Amino acid sequence: MATEGYIAGSGFSPRRVGAALTHTWHKGLGALRLVLRTTSGRIGLPIVLVHAVIFVAGSWLAPYSFTSFNLAEDGTLEQLVGPSRHFLLGTDQFGRDILSRVMSGSTSLIAVAGSGTLLGIAMGSIVGMGSAYMGKWVDEVVMRIMDGLMSFPSLLMALLVISALGPNVLYIVATVAIVTTPGVARVMRSATLTLKEQEFVQSARLRGESAPYIIFREILPNTLPVMGVELTVRLSYSILIVASLGFLGLGVQPPSPDWGLMISQGRQFLSSAPWVALAPAGAVASLIVGVNLLTDGIRQASNMPREVAP
Amino acid sequence: MTEDVNLNGGQPLVEMSHLAVTFYTPRGTVRAIRDASLRIERGEVVGLVGESGCGKSTAALALMGYLPGTTKVEGSLLFEGQEINEMSPAELRKLWGKRIAMVYQDPATALNPTMRVGPQIDELLQHHLQLSKSEAQQKTIELFTSVKLADPDTIGNRYPHQMSGGQQQRAVIAMALACEPDLLIMDEPTTGLDVTTEATILDLVVDLKDRFKAGILYVSHNLGVIARVADRVVVMYAGQTIEEAPVRDLFKAPRHPYTAGLLSCVPAPVSTENSAVQLSSIPGSVFPASLPTEEACLFAPRCPMAQERCRTEVPAVFDAGGDHSARCFFWGDVRPGIWGTDELRQEGERGEVEPVLTATSLRKRYGHWERKYLFFGPWVRPPVRALTGVDFAVGSGRTLGIVGESGSGKTTAARVVVGLVPSDGGQLTLQDEEMPSAVQDRSRSQRAAVRMVFQNPKASLNPKLPIRHAILRALRKFAGLNRRESLERARELMEAVGLGPELLDRPPTELSGGQQQRVALAGAFAANPELVVLDEAVSALDVSVQAQVLNLLDRHQDETGTSHIFISHDLGVVRYVSDDILVLYAGHVAESGPAESVLNSPSHPYTEALLSAAPVPDPDAPPTHIRLPGAVPTMRERFQGCFFAGRCPRKLDGDICDTTPPPVRTGPRSSKHVIHCHIPLEELTALQRNGTST
Repeated sequence: MATEGYIAGSGFSPRRVGAALTHTWHKGLGALRLVLRTTSGRIGLPIVLVHAVIFVAGSWLAPYSFTSFNLAEDGTLEQLVGPSRHFLLGTDQFGRDILSRVMSGSTSLIAVAGSGTLLGIAMGSIVGMGSAYMGKWVDEVVMRIMDGLMSFPSLLMALLVISALGPNVLYIVATVAIVTTPGVARVMRSATLTLKEQEFVQSARLRGESAPYIIFREILPNTLPVMGVELTVRLSYSILIVASLGFLGLGVQPPSPDWGLMISQGRQFLSSAPWVALAPAGAVASLIVGVNLLTDGIRQASNMPREVAP
Repeated sequence: MTEDVNLNGGQPLVEMSHLAVTFYTPRGTVRAIRDASLRIERGEVVGLVGESGCGKSTAALALMGYLPGTTKVEGSLLFEGQEINEMSPAELRKLWGKRIAMVYQDPATALNPTMRVGPQIDELLQHHLQLSKSEAQQKTIELFTSVKLADPDTIGNRYPHQMSGGQQQRAVIAMALACEPDLLIMDEPTTGLDVTTEATILDLVVDLKDRFKAGILYVSHNLGVIARVADRVVVMYAGQTIEEAPVRDLFKAPRHPYTAGLLSCVPAPVSTENSAVQLSSIPGSVFPASLPTEEACLFAPRCPMAQERCRTEVPAVFDAGGDHSARCFFWGDVRPGIWGTDELRQEGERGEVEPVLTATSLRKRYGHWERKYLFFGPWVRPPVRALTGVDFAVGSGRTLGIVGESGSGKTTAARVVVGLVPSDGGQLTLQDEEMPSAVQDRSRSQRAAVRMVFQNPKASLNPKLPIRHAILRALRKFAGLNRRESLERARELMEAVGLGPELLDRPPTELSGGQQQRVALAGAFAANPELVVLDEAVSALDVSVQAQVLNLLDRHQDETGTSHIFISHDLGVVRYVSDDILVLYAGHVAESGPAESVLNSPSHPYTEALLSAAPVPDPDAPPTHIRLPGAVPTMRERFQGCFFAGRCPRKLDGDICDTTPPPVRTGPRSSKHVIHCHIPLEELTALQRNGTST
């Protein structure tokens, strides 16, 4: 019997995994279609896709190496050349192609911001859900600590950690995670507070299930939509923080290209060669705007009535 | 009566003929109303009844001309001869409030929470009737008086949250009556209220019918309520009006098998005989609104009388004489017996049984004493005392029913028994063994022995997990079965609760409320429990489904000898399932004992009031007189005298009720029957006999 295989296979069988994957794929396509129905989604998604391509393959697609000092035919350095046929976005004070540097610079930025955000979401979820589930004084203490963390302006907080520990990539990831955690913890806590009063959680308690089982198996799946929205919102904040750290010289260290650092270095040429600063600034801005628009699209789509096949 | 009005007016107030309403939604096409015809005359109350999903509320909204733009409306809907479906929004706005008014189910959402209640009505009067401010205020007070709100002069100064549910609903009715509308639509106006409050609102509706000339459409799923207020009744099924008749004819001689079925699904509130009649249930569920109308009778799949003709031909509406019509080929053959109601129910032995669970002086308080200025000042705010020394016992294989209004401590009692809410004092004994008060301190066998089913079937299954999860986990936790064995057992359980095993893989969202509640029962039955606590477990279900679940519980109890604690606000249902009854009021036991002793005289004045308030699905039932004003007190204050003295309709002269806690009296029929009241039992019996006869 077809159903028997499916029910009995609470473990892994290739057919079950295959079915689950197809199911997820169809669900994903359906969700995508809904997102593309919203204006924000239609604008945001292509922007994010372009950034995704650059993130994955930016340094291969780049016309020049991001470190090469380009020389003109007469052997002079092509310093601060404006946008031209050879250098679409011009060159910087060392004659490096800005387009190539912008394209290569996104990898470290997004990787750092993204992994920091993911780590922060994970930490925030555990703290928020655990705190809400335990309740009583645990909840009080944990949430007051989170409030304390949250009362620091996030950039100041980041600066504090980095200047104490040094600008190592791992520390930056950790910083982003720490800055992200309290906000996520708040949101997950309030979602959990509602869910834990639900009757299915109470019946799990009556079965004598352990707290981790209830949190991860019963409550967590129901918070995934909240978590998804939180992820995209926090991602754009994190990008901003990492870029700001770079701008202040505490980000990824040279010679790796970093958008924040590029903006900061381009500042001195703002009147004579504005492209040096404007190109990476535009890149950061479009990434953040794109992510925000996409978030908005997803949020609108999730409020739409779901389509049911006739 | 209707004849006279017809002569005066010439045409009925509302005439709906062959109305069809179709919603086009992203979820697909919903045929909310397929073919509905009804008429409302001035000065009469038309009851509209049916299960959920039959199109009652859509019919009410259509009468208001209140349907969204993407809706297709066919047929005609005349209000005083004018077609509502063809009116412009501006014309409709002139009707709303002034000519047609509506009272919704939830009064809390119908009132603006940021405004005092009086000015909300003043505003309406100033706008529609161009009254001056002081005239409007005067009129508002008159309206408050006419809906019998206590303190009509000052109650308008309150905000909605400062009023009880019953007061709010009265204010909403006052608002609806403000412009003396010609048509008043009431959509389940008492569904969210306690029985005692419901009874007072129904009295008001009956009274309004005599005083105002308006036609009233009263929508309800509760046949008892309809029997109390309606002059004529229209029954809807799957978007069709299937029967229309004067109220007495409909209840005495239904001419459509669906109506007959609905009537036999409702347990009679009090029956003095020991053996109640077995409830019949309508199998299956309502014909889904997503399917197109078939060339057949839509009720045929569930009908016990269905013939070949019913499956191939659409029945017309037949005239059964005397203003009675039914959409059934065989209307002449419909009698109560078609649903098999003649069977008498097997009642268990009435002898003494060992108690499974004994609760001794259970106490539970919520909150702490609080000081006036946080850390300083006098102690001013005492905790809420939800249970104050409550004793009860559940006999082996018996059902203990717990009744009371909301706020009386029923749910707290249930949660204390299962251990979700640890008690602050008292003792729970499960089969001669003391049980810890919190669920996490109980042993696995104790947890397996006491299981619970919750009120809301939607929330009792995890929406993100397939329904097998709840059952399999219970089996794994309690029965210690391996995966294959527990799956095997889960399938048996599903069949035992009347569901196909193939449903195990579905998410709960694909199941109906009744099916979800059966799954919850299967999970509770999984580990052969000693005691199942059912907290309003059938209250959210339609009557036909409710009867299915009640019969299922009954059968399961007969087969396995499980004991039940059955909590409900519906006295009819409690009477049907219970062997013993516990009446709670404000965390105190008012009365307890064997069901027939508790429900018969002499009973505690509170029990008497509850019985008096319960709506009876019989238009000829003798009218009852005892009404309880107000609501259960907050239980923060310790009662000096009797806990019920503040609302007691039989309070004694002198101050004994206010100063001395009531003695415990033992009833004449059974030594287990106890009544906490100052009035001697002989006197109570005499009072109650007089009360019901006059």
